[in-house]
Amino acid sequence: MLDLARTLRVVAALLRVGLSAALQYRADFLLDAVLGVLRASAAVGPTVVLFSVREQVAGWTAPDVALVLGFYLILQALMSGLVEPNLGEVVEAIRSGNLDLLLLKPVDAQLLVSFRRVQPAAIWDLLGGLAVLAWAGWQRPSPGWGAILVAVGLLPPGLAAMYSLWLLAICTSFFFVRVDNLRYVLGAVVDAGRNPLVVYPPWMRVILTAVIPVGLITTFPASALRGEGGLSLWVLAMGIAVGFVIASRAAWLRSLAAYTSSGS
Amino acid sequence: MIRTEDLTKVYRVPIREPGLWSSVRSLWNRKWREVRAVDRVCLRIEEGERVGFLGPNGAGKTTTLKMLTGLLHPTSGRCTVAGFQPAARERAFLQAITLVMGQKQQLLWDLPASETFALNRALFDVNRQAFAETMEELVALLDLEGFLDQPVRNLSLGQRMRCELAAALLHRPRVLFLDEPTIGLDVEGTLQVRRFIRDYNARTGATVVLTSHDMQDVAAIVDRLVLIDRGVIRFDASLEQFRREFGTGRLLTARVGDEVDLGGVGLARERGIWTGTFPAEEVNGRLAEVLRRAPGAEVTVADPPLEEVLARAFGAARSGRAP
Repeated sequence: MLDLARTLRVVAALLRVGLSAALQYRADFLLDAVLGVLRASAAVGPTVVLFSVREQVAGWTAPDVALVLGFYLILQALMSGLVEPNLGEVVEAIRSGNLDLLLLKPVDAQLLVSFRRVQPAAIWDLLGGLAVLAWAGWQRPSPGWGAILVAVGLLPPGLAAMYSLWLLAICTSFFFVRVDNLRYVLGAVVDAGRNPLVVYPPWMRVILTAVIPVGLITTFPASALRGEGGLSLWVLAMGIAVGFVIASRAAWLRSLAAYTSSGS
Repeated sequence: MIRTEDLTKVYRVPIREPGLWSSVRSLWNRKWREVRAVDRVCLRIEEGERVGFLGPNGAGKTTTLKMLTGLLHPTSGRCTVAGFQPAARERAFLQAITLVMGQKQQLLWDLPASETFALNRALFDVNRQAFAETMEELVALLDLEGFLDQPVRNLSLGQRMRCELAAALLHRPRVLFLDEPTIGLDVEGTLQVRRFIRDYNARTGATVVLTSHDMQDVAAIVDRLVLIDRGVIRFDASLEQFRREFGTGRLLTARVGDEVDLGGVGLARERGIWTGTFPAEEVNGRLAEVLRRAPGAEVTVADPPLEEVLARAFGAARSGRAP
């Protein structure tokens, strides 16, 4: 219990400092806000165009797809706000040997590398995602509290799985010097999560659920709100998330043991 | 406080001949070489000691320091620091030590140093009262007043290093590992850092382990010297013993009137000044003789420069003459 309180204090201190650092550059913050709005619009654009000529895609209506899109934008907000800034930072710290200074703190190093940087402008993506979800909710019949509960309950395992995927990507930078391209590849695959999984061939659905688990946090909650799957979706998502968390933690500890620092 | 037994670190580094073809070939047929960065190092450092690791680039000083701080896992051998095995990186161990690296910084670049201090307070779980007391003390000792509210990127190198020291000592560690702490600093900054480290050791009784290329740093901060070369300890004793062992003696210099001849005392005249180097046990007798022959002479007795002594020590170590 004491440890949890301390962990929360550490995370709060890290986020506070990360936020202060990001707000030092006012112009960047404003520019990122504009870019955030553009990103959200660009994400919605293709769906709007598609549904202006069709009523349904694989049984999914425009408001159904908007649910997926809304969850996708929320995921993007969390990734660009909390995850991606730290990815760049850690990769550089490993390369330069500055990770040394983080490893000397009496706090789990994984926690330190995960919350050092914050991109506050991601709040615009988050608001965009919530707006799209609100629109979809307005257009659709009420899904019922049970479905809403399952959808909300799917967010933690989905986020945990995506965070773990990110951590696995970081672990590769302990062994390879250039992993920047991995970020772009991951970003491109995660983009596929903006559409319902049902539009993809079966093999790709498996990949987007169990390998790059973006489906867990986009299509899964949307399906729950459509009244599909129910609790079994949540059980499946939890199973996949637990697997990812265990694998990424093991990879992180193994990578730390192999860390060679850099010359003085 | 610090014990090592046959501490060894072996790196595996890729080797490749120059040229495009060897680059292509190394894609599927990479050759490796083992480098023994630290080779069976045995050390015993007591609480409160100030010890300097000295050696040329690539000697193994920093690798040893990184194993003692738990950043690197030893290939073989054992080490304990304050009763802990560093590689296990237990929280109590990390609370007990600190590492300051002259070439790396923990200060948050875009924010005032006070933000880093506040973050470290949370990370090291220092209570508010202890934090306020330590901060007050460090601000006074390191003369930090006046620039704590400026972004770190706007500080001079000397100001940054003083803030680095404060950030590293907020949790009152019992063991200080300092890796080239004065590198790049100007004269005033260097003196300030050296004075602070000595004072900190005297006030708190903390153990200080320093690596440096700067002989003056070593002479000013430590009282025990560990000479490392090619991963092996070549010499481990007090600074005085080091001078006695490898110094050619003490340098006697005398300014006297033109009519006085000190050739008979064993001194030689160069540009109007008589000088001579003698073993420590002889120098007092020679000095007395100079003063007998020229009572008004201006005489100095000094140690030879430490750089000279060090060069001699490494020469002796490599030819197998070191003790």
